[in-house]
Amino acid sequence: MSAIEAVSLSKIYHRSRTQALSDLTLTIRRGEIFTLLGRNGAGKTTFLRIAATQLMPTKGEISVLGHDARDEPLEIRSKIAVVPQEGGTIGPLTPWDHIYLSLLARGISRIEAHQRAEKTIHQLELTEYRNQPADSLSGGLRQRVRVAMAVATDADLIFLDEPTLGLDAVSRRRIWGVLNEIQKEGRSILLTTHYIDEAEILSNRVVIIDRGRLVVSGSPAELLRNVKERVRVDIVGSSFSSEELSNYGRVVKLAERFRVLTDDQRGKELADEAVRRGSDVALARVSLEDLFVDLVGRDEE
Amino acid sequence: MSGAKQFRAAVIIGYMLSITWLRRNLLSLVWLFATPFSLLFIITVTTGGRSFALGVIGSLLLVLSTVGTGLAGDATWYRLETKLQDFFVASPVNQFGYLLGIAFAGLFFASPALVVLLPLLIYIGLPLLSLPVVLLSLVGVWLFSSAIGYLVSTFTSNLRNGWQSGLLLSVLVGILPPVFYPAEILPRNILLVTYAIPTTNAALLIRDAMGSTPTLPYWSPLIGWFLIAVSLAIALAVTSQVARWRQP
Repeated sequence: MSAIEAVSLSKIYHRSRTQALSDLTLTIRRGEIFTLLGRNGAGKTTFLRIAATQLMPTKGEISVLGHDARDEPLEIRSKIAVVPQEGGTIGPLTPWDHIYLSLLARGISRIEAHQRAEKTIHQLELTEYRNQPADSLSGGLRQRVRVAMAVATDADLIFLDEPTLGLDAVSRRRIWGVLNEIQKEGRSILLTTHYIDEAEILSNRVVIIDRGRLVVSGSPAELLRNVKERVRVDIVGSSFSSEELSNYGRVVKLAERFRVLTDDQRGKELADEAVRRGSDVALARVSLEDLFVDLVGRDEE
Repeated sequence: MSGAKQFRAAVIIGYMLSITWLRRNLLSLVWLFATPFSLLFIITVTTGGRSFALGVIGSLLLVLSTVGTGLAGDATWYRLETKLQDFFVASPVNQFGYLLGIAFAGLFFASPALVVLLPLLIYIGLPLLSLPVVLLSLVGVWLFSSAIGYLVSTFTSNLRNGWQSGLLLSVLVGILPPVFYPAEILPRNILLVTYAIPTTNAALLIRDAMGSTPTLPYWSPLIGWFLIAVSLAIALAVTSQVARWRQP
């Protein structure tokens, strides 16, 4: 059985007359970390909120953990937990209060809530701050508290809407580690993120959506096979003209640098030439970010 | 979750959003005491103490109606800023568990004022045997105001409007109706309109419990209870049908 199965799912916000999702069909398997990637307003949060029974779809079908999300929300809600996007913490409540009390409210016994809260506090490295009022914590720590409130539950499926937004690199890695531990317990995770490296590192499968439509889906490795070029060469400075670079491959201007997407051989030749001319140069394999920009970033180029 | 577990969840949510807050933020008490006790002071001073009892009754009802209607702002904050509502929508807690939880939070916030006002009411003449009558009418006012406040919050799209709606509702439910002044002085047509507001009936019932039964057209204690029950039932029914727990 799949964790989430959406068929021709559409959502129109009538007030703003915005079509947020359009005929979106996708399946999320049990036990996987599944990531929704897309630009701002692509429909990621809308999909997540519909699947988490917070929002009604306009059209189409969606089942979550075997239950119809439209008609059987109560059956779903006992098995899911959510980290909403850009939420906050409650002023003077401590991390411990947030986690422990929200577990009790979900109907978990005091003993189990205590154990789960202790474990999660430790997992997310909040021990030092456990009794400090949340409004005295940094934004990153508060975000970790919010993630902890969902992670500590016994939910089979956890929804995380941009859980690492604004976190430093160390905190992000800590959360990645916890999400991997959750996956090992057999639980499923639906994640939305703007961090493409996060999607690439964490996800079993990724779907890129744009303007509410599915653009491409698959494992990060499968998606990378869709990129024609193999390597990217980033060159800083003005030692090359864009015409000259276009002889090597596809050129993308990124602020003060040029990025050339090309094959292995020509990439190496370009890198050597850049070194010979004294330019700062970096040669790397193409990433999911290149595919992402390629697929949904054409307007910007 | 069963009804008992929803009730347990409500108590925990109430504790989470009030007691833990008050323990570390005693200043939060000041705003709640400020308006009712100011009105009590003004009424007592301007009537030379003759309307002190009415002032105490009004203050009690204003405290409870304010913590209820104040949910228009608080619940908007929980929904838009902290996303606590979204967190609980996607959990076993249902809408009534959540509503009762945030209503309990208001009640817990109000409890210090109640601890002052209820003994004062007994001191100035409320027979102890009538205390359950008073408490029941206060519960009706608290639940009615909370349901209305929460209902409004689910349609409020920004925080400022939430606080403003809460203040407006507080005036409409807790100050304008005849709770701080005798209902007898109202023109008949306006009086009949105020019967639709539970605070009016609660004030009249408390006066009745204190031995000063109001003589008003179409009103008796039985009708007062009936009107409180009907207005509460309507408020809860409308909230359950119309309030946006899951967004459309």
